[in-house]
Amino acid sequence: MGGITDYIQFVLAPQMITGLALGVAVVLVALGLTIIFGLLDVINMAHGEFYAVGAYLALALGASGISFWILLVIVPLVMLPVGYAVERGLIQRVFNLPDRHVTTLLLTFGLGLVIEEALKIIFGANTQRPPTPISGAVELMGVLLPSYRLFLIVIGAAIVIAVALIINKTTLGSLVRAAAFDSNMAASLGVPVKRVFAWTFAFGVALAGLAGVLLAPIYSVFPTMGRDFIFLAFTVVIVGGMGSIAGAVVAGLLLTQIQAISSLIVPPVWSDPLLFGIMVVMLVVRPQGLFGRLGHG
Amino acid sequence: MADMSSRSQKPVDRLGLAMRASHVLVAIFVVLGLICAAIGAANQDTFFLRLATEALIFAGLALSVDILLGYTGLLSLGQALYFGMGAYISALVLKEVPSFWLAMGAVLVASFVVSLLAGMVANRVRGVYFALVTFGLAQVAARAVYNTRAIGASDGLIGIPIVPINLGFGTFMSSSPAPFFIFTLAFIVILYLISAYILDTPFGRILVALRANERRVPFLGYSTWNARLAAYVLAGVVAALSGALYPMLRGFVSPELLFFATSGNAVITVVTGGVGTLAGALYGSVILTVLKSVVGSMTEHHLIVIGLLFMAVVIFLPKGLMGLVRPRIERMLSGGDR
Repeated sequence: MGGITDYIQFVLAPQMITGLALGVAVVLVALGLTIIFGLLDVINMAHGEFYAVGAYLALALGASGISFWILLVIVPLVMLPVGYAVERGLIQRVFNLPDRHVTTLLLTFGLGLVIEEALKIIFGANTQRPPTPISGAVELMGVLLPSYRLFLIVIGAAIVIAVALIINKTTLGSLVRAAAFDSNMAASLGVPVKRVFAWTFAFGVALAGLAGVLLAPIYSVFPTMGRDFIFLAFTVVIVGGMGSIAGAVVAGLLLTQIQAISSLIVPPVWSDPLLFGIMVVMLVVRPQGLFGRLGHG
Repeated sequence: MADMSSRSQKPVDRLGLAMRASHVLVAIFVVLGLICAAIGAANQDTFFLRLATEALIFAGLALSVDILLGYTGLLSLGQALYFGMGAYISALVLKEVPSFWLAMGAVLVASFVVSLLAGMVANRVRGVYFALVTFGLAQVAARAVYNTRAIGASDGLIGIPIVPINLGFGTFMSSSPAPFFIFTLAFIVILYLISAYILDTPFGRILVALRANERRVPFLGYSTWNARLAAYVLAGVVAALSGALYPMLRGFVSPELLFFATSGNAVITVVTGGVGTLAGALYGSVILTVLKSVVGSMTEHHLIVIGLLFMAVVIFLPKGLMGLVRPRIERMLSGGDR
């Protein structure tokens, strides 16, 4: 019997807790993605690049001596006007074309390419790693966990709850949901739909930037960091249900746990195909995902 | 061509006319290609002819994306699955038996079976979900190939032998640049003609109708499922047969051929060339290859130029370059008829 408890304490539990930190990270990236899809009906293929921009901003500003805690506030604030400008300047131009999904997907795909190359030109292709803002480790259920990962899990949960409350419980959130549900009706009731859409997009982009700041100390900073992470985030959004916050949380935690536990059984290189396989099966069996769409019933 | 019969009909058959305009554009493309081949052969050139051949091979991949996007309105983000599969099967066959026709036959059969099976999965969903399913399927395949030691894993397969290509009236080696370029040009044009022929039959019209209003088509007595599946299989086979030529040209295959970047490039090619024109895929591929090698010789960050160009096309030229050119040719063609 000792073998099993040892296995759980020294193999399974650390794997699951590391998986939990990754899960929170993925949920943070997926959150902005799912909000932009659920409310604007836009697939933002450049979301991973906005995440990378947030991480690079944190790296550059952090190098000039600004403390990590201030960056947590500044970077999302800087990303807001960026997202707003992208929505008004680019997305709005093609928003009312008949094939909105395809066109916005293509447009943001091009934008992602441009941002990624711009990051390579400005910062170089090398991998960089900002210092960890909280050093040390804590013991959790007999498992040694780096303090920063614990902090990430806690603040990640706080951010998700805050975002869910803003969208579901505030007047601002109801404006956004109304515009998403029936933009014509909302407009005739006085909701400034175009501005609401632009601010929603900006909000999603700011969330991506915030995720960038938070995750840079763990997963390092490099120009293609967004591309690597966004595949996982897309999987999470699809399995959870495009546009559902609860879905993103459940799917994000579930999939990263599957990944963490499966990598004990099969070689870790096969965990990615496994996740994409789950995504494909989910899309075919239940395309709307685990949970329904945001703002729609 | 099948559309010849529509020539005398009075209201003008717009789809048939557009298709004939595409044929004219492809004819011009072939003439330009042959001129390039003549210049290249006269100068004993190898590098540019091989680059042009590669552009043609990727034009085949773009063609398959356009069959889906232009005729069914479904965006495939994973067409590299078939392209890479064609390349790998061709490479594996050639390493065992250096027979061109055996390799092509194996690719044809395998891609037909795989695209039929994958099509049954992918066609259960529409719109953006279709894009993500195709993306996911290609990603699973790409990771699987990347991790499988038996087929070279991340290194790919190298040392694919030079094969003789016997066309009945003569034989040439896949390593001689000018003949292989002309052969590839002919091959891609044949793929174009077969696709154009199929898409111009009543079956093709069902696809166009599906794109316009999917709910109404079943009421007219047509199966939407079969039409979609057939278009998917056609696209898969076209992509795989194009990919099969890749190892003959380069002598190696790598898992990058299956990656998202390959699928994404094909989408950029089609959108730049003009969605739903088929000819746009051929022109787009050449234009992008030229652009990449010209800008690439100036800066390693050529993707930023491609990305900006692509965004500009999506916003300002939603019908692509062929959208500018083809209507003029249509006008000339319809003027000549009356």
